[in-house]
Amino acid sequence: MTSNLLFAVGTLADWFGMALVIRTLYLLAKRQPGVGVSALFAGGSLLVAAMTPAFHGQFGLPLIWVVLPFSGWAVATVGLLCLVNVLRYLLERTGGRLKGIAVSGVLLLGAVWLLRTDPEAHFDVLTGKILLSVESIIAIFCLALAAIGIMAFANREMRKLATRFVIHVTLLCGCVVFGLPFAWLMITSFKEDRDMASPNGLVWIPKVQKTVPYLDPEEPVFQGDYHGNRVEAATIGRNSDGSYITEVRRPASLAGMSINVRPEQFRIIPNDAPVVAGKGYTAFVTREMSDGRRQLSLMTPASLKGTVKVVSPDEVEPVREVGLRTRNYTDALESMPVETQSGLLYLRNTLLLVVLSVFGTVLSSSLVAYGFARLRFPGREPLFKILLATMMLPGAVTLMPQFLLFRWLGWIDTLLPLWVPAFFGGAFNVFLLRQFLVQIPLELEDASRIDGAGILRTFWTVMLPQVKPALAVVAIWTFMGAWNSFMGPLIYINSPENMPLAYALQLFQTERGGEAGMMMAFASLTILPVVALFFFAQRYFIEGITFSGFGGR
Amino acid sequence: MLNRKLSVAALSLLLMTSAMSRGQQTLSVWGAQLGPDTIAGTLAVAQAFEARHPGVHVRMLGLGAGHMNPQKLLTAIVGGSPPDVVVQARFNISDWASRGAFVSLDPFLERDRKDPNCPKREAYYTAAWDEAVYKNSVYGIPTGADDRALYWNKAIFRENKDALSAAGLDWQRPPRTWSEMLRYSKVLTIPGKRAGFIPNFGNAWLYLYAFQNDSYFLTPDGSRCTLATPETAEALKFMKDGYDLLGGYTAATAFQSGFQGKENDPFLTGQVVMKIDGDWSLPGIARYGPTLDFGVAPPPVPDDRLARKGRFANDPDPFLTWSGGFSLAMPRGCPNRDLAWEFIKFGSSLEGRLIENAAQAAADHAKGRLYLPRIQGLKAANEALYRIYKPRQAKFADSLQVHIDLMKSSRYRPPTIVGQLLWDEHVRATEQVLLGKAEPMEALLDGQKKVQRGLDVLVKKQKLSVVPMWIVGAIAISLLSIGIGLWGRTWRRARLGKLSRYEAKWGIFCVAPWIVGFLVFTAEPMIASLFFSFTDYDVLSPPRWVGLRNFAELATDDRANIFKAFGNAAYMAGIGVPLGLFTGLAVAMLLNSAVRGMRFYRTVFYLPAIVPVVASSVLWIWLLTPDPNKGLINAVWRDTVGAWIHAPLPGWLAAESWAKPALILMGVWGAGSGMILWLAGLKNIPRSLYEAAEIDGANKRNLFFTVTLPMLSPVMFFNVVMGLIGAVQEFDRVYVMAGDDANGPNDSLLVPAKYLFTNAFSYFKMGYASSLAWTLFAVILLVTLLQFSVSRFWVFEETSS
Repeated sequence: MTSNLLFAVGTLADWFGMALVIRTLYLLAKRQPGVGVSALFAGGSLLVAAMTPAFHGQFGLPLIWVVLPFSGWAVATVGLLCLVNVLRYLLERTGGRLKGIAVSGVLLLGAVWLLRTDPEAHFDVLTGKILLSVESIIAIFCLALAAIGIMAFANREMRKLATRFVIHVTLLCGCVVFGLPFAWLMITSFKEDRDMASPNGLVWIPKVQKTVPYLDPEEPVFQGDYHGNRVEAATIGRNSDGSYITEVRRPASLAGMSINVRPEQFRIIPNDAPVVAGKGYTAFVTREMSDGRRQLSLMTPASLKGTVKVVSPDEVEPVREVGLRTRNYTDALESMPVETQSGLLYLRNTLLLVVLSVFGTVLSSSLVAYGFARLRFPGREPLFKILLATMMLPGAVTLMPQFLLFRWLGWIDTLLPLWVPAFFGGAFNVFLLRQFLVQIPLELEDASRIDGAGILRTFWTVMLPQVKPALAVVAIWTFMGAWNSFMGPLIYINSPENMPLAYALQLFQTERGGEAGMMMAFASLTILPVVALFFFAQRYFIEGITFSGFGGR
Repeated sequence: MLNRKLSVAALSLLLMTSAMSRGQQTLSVWGAQLGPDTIAGTLAVAQAFEARHPGVHVRMLGLGAGHMNPQKLLTAIVGGSPPDVVVQARFNISDWASRGAFVSLDPFLERDRKDPNCPKREAYYTAAWDEAVYKNSVYGIPTGADDRALYWNKAIFRENKDALSAAGLDWQRPPRTWSEMLRYSKVLTIPGKRAGFIPNFGNAWLYLYAFQNDSYFLTPDGSRCTLATPETAEALKFMKDGYDLLGGYTAATAFQSGFQGKENDPFLTGQVVMKIDGDWSLPGIARYGPTLDFGVAPPPVPDDRLARKGRFANDPDPFLTWSGGFSLAMPRGCPNRDLAWEFIKFGSSLEGRLIENAAQAAADHAKGRLYLPRIQGLKAANEALYRIYKPRQAKFADSLQVHIDLMKSSRYRPPTIVGQLLWDEHVRATEQVLLGKAEPMEALLDGQKKVQRGLDVLVKKQKLSVVPMWIVGAIAISLLSIGIGLWGRTWRRARLGKLSRYEAKWGIFCVAPWIVGFLVFTAEPMIASLFFSFTDYDVLSPPRWVGLRNFAELATDDRANIFKAFGNAAYMAGIGVPLGLFTGLAVAMLLNSAVRGMRFYRTVFYLPAIVPVVASSVLWIWLLTPDPNKGLINAVWRDTVGAWIHAPLPGWLAAESWAKPALILMGVWGAGSGMILWLAGLKNIPRSLYEAAEIDGANKRNLFFTVTLPMLSPVMFFNVVMGLIGAVQEFDRVYVMAGDDANGPNDSLLVPAKYLFTNAFSYFKMGYASSLAWTLFAVILLVTLLQFSVSRFWVFEETSS
């Protein structure tokens, strides 16, 4: 037997044994019969697995299975399903479905043939060594089809199962494709700069530099208050009067600035000294010297602890451990202009914009839509046609004159141009709401009128509740429009303290685009509130649109 | 007016909770260099200024990477909230000055003539000072300067000494002339691995080569554009030859897309043996490749120039380079003129320059880095800085010395009112020629025509008649009164009863917000926009009537760009919209099936649609990085498509043919918003229809084509119409992903809305932008009407409604 085959047998036996152990436990828990047989088989299988050289008497999941490429999984699963279903079908001996078996068989044969004829494709599926080529992709596809075909032809129940299986697999694949960018965004936002690009493949698990706190007696790090900002500054020299010349390290918006520090005003805090490993020792860096060399203080071996050593950077390797670099987030927040209070004002502006826009749009659009839908007045039809026509008007046409208009009003560099127009009803929203309002039976309105309600009252108490789902749609779309709004702020807002998030992010990108960690941290912060809101308001978000009956009308 | 302004100011003061700015005079400076490697110096100057002027708070803002975003400055100046001082790239200053957007500094210079700290022309390099002079008036005082030189990797020269000697070349010195450069490059290039010399890598552009060949793009009086001269064409030919050695421009660009920064800078890794770059690249070498054996020399010049033959016989400079840099300028309407002038004086003075460099040096030294001062516009500052910070290593000291010496024989971009346009057109022409899409003279003539037109317009502008703005108001009011008159007639003719009159009054009350909004925010701006489209208008001065010239320009001279822009939009809409529709429908069908965990799936698929466009663009820039060691998509590509069918890695946003597919891919990812509508449509198809069809013996496929699709056709119609309207107006993504002043490689991401924006806010051509906007409107209207007229053949309408 070749080693591959041995490995395959061992692996399968191991898996089978594991499955049986689980089954035995299940039977025990449910107090069902057959525990003994199950346990017996489990033991036997595991024994077989243990005997194969590939396992050297160890049990457990061979690691190779965990890292098996997706294709390997697919082929293995599909092959197994094929086998089970053919057997099952043969045992049941139901006639008339031979066609299905034949088709599946042909596909299976075709797949195997394709895999075999491809010289590049090592068909060592079970060792996880399947090399992907166009042929093997086609083959795998055929295998999958064969398995599904057999399932579908087996019986009704299996067909349902097959469908569900296919749907789940497809949806999960889709989720990976659609969700991966977000995962990558989050991972990147927690990575150190040195992991951003790596010739040995992408870094998926963030690592951070290990540090130890270190109080440098000669060049202390100070923390204190400077013009209302809490700053952290490292010593770079001394003045003749005993005060220290320091360089600000944090907040990032002031980083690099040098200030004079009197020790009595500031307090000395320990520095985070990076840990490095050299040949036979570990140490932490106490100082970076101007000629590029580093001064170290040894940590291990214990006998040399505390010894000072000077090395050049290529003699030592940084010691790193798996962890999240949250500094990216604090740095991103701190590097926002001081006036914006670490970006809090950006968020406030965006929220203000969103709330006012949604409120204004819902209120005005529904009122206008009501006018167009339920009240007759001369000129209604031509006016409505104008409204429809404006839906096609590109924003670019009115962009410039609107700018002049707002300048004339003195609204430049305020949020006003961004939300005030919302109070005058958007054409699209009016149109949408009108379509709903038109369909409400006349009787409802008449009844309310007969009860003596005025027109506004009828609108408020009778009509609005009827179109709640449509209002939700309008609110949601306005919300997203306001949250995303970019061109408006780009034109109207100049001061950081009046900027909304999206625009601030774009500015940040032009200024700090090179620093991926900080960039992604800021992007995550922009996305998170809206994602959180989405999770809470999922029902309204999706079902509002779905059940509004928007589609199909 | 004053009251309103005061209240706005009070409001914004209230909003400013920062203690630093309360009760103080604030001096705001825009365009400050606040990058991690310059922030220390920038803030130190502000600090020193504050110390000299108690009660003043200097507020530094970046607002753009290395250059002031012109649109931001324009809207601020026009909107009446400009900063006090602008740090402005010098070559743009005349653009602004010519439109009266910057204040002439002559009165201040005159007033402080006797002040020893007052800037004097003689104290600065001519190239630095004169670049900010427009029509004999000074509009900016130089701070930093830069110039370009040849960087060559001595180690690689030594390794290849045999090959170089065999080719008859001296391996101990760099090339001095263009023809030598090509010969060196040929020997040192290994295709796909190493490039001897990439003409436009680093920072050379056609500008440098044209200057060297005695071509200055404009006549001395600035009235005529001379982009298309035999000299420029020759320079362009040299660039093309340089690229041909490397296997062509496309191959070189593909090679370049693998370049990285910092330690892996291609010059440090030896991927590029020679490059022309500015003095700003020295600190990078000192920091990331201190052991590199390299040299800096004057950039190679045309052979005749060095030999002093032909037209160069009387030229004093055997070598010459191109210099640029920044100046401090004062925008129109700046709130604290005198204080701003004090800041400009201080910032550009010897003292200011020394403070900035001292702070930056201290910061760099503290980080264990070698500090190399940047070149200054002020001669004395250069000398002093070189004395103080002269690097101990000879190679750095010599390099710096070469850069400083070159300042004396450097040229600068001509001060002109069309600086930005000239720059953009020269880039466009270069790209066209290097891609082999046009002959040098042809491409240059094309660009020259456009620039000349820009010049002519501005020169002739004075002769055009000013049209007062009140005309817009008058037209609006007369149209409004006609409207009211017509409506009044309908009202009278309707002969309403008492009850109907009551209803009609309320109807008008309900509709009133929209009517007011329509008149103020749509109708009136539309009239104004239409009016502007017949004028030449730059917002800074009153509009002048030009009749149909803007539209004529659209259809004739600027046709290529317009076609390109609409072509790009059509490409993205034509592929992107159907692809998005298909993805949306497919996902919606899957999500409409009854399996568990639907809420989870739905959330994940919808997530991309709710993420702000800017955030997702930022994310996708990162995902689409061409380098497979950095960009997720190319990493996956390398291991899948690349490994299976040996497809080369796509350059995405950096490659002409991949830029639009990149955006389409991103669009498909965000197909969730369409998906929700599909899902809504699917859920609203009555079960009974399926049941009835099943009884008739329909199978799954029949059901889909005879029930599902027809019932979904209104949703599809809606999605198609909205999708197309949205795609034609594409702006945000392109703005973020291509950059505010770029349109992707060879204009591959030039879209109508972006082109309009550039014209309006970078070229100051509001009138032209308006005519473009109306063209856009016409196109959208046409497409939509076409859709509606075709719709009755395929959109299924329920007859009951």
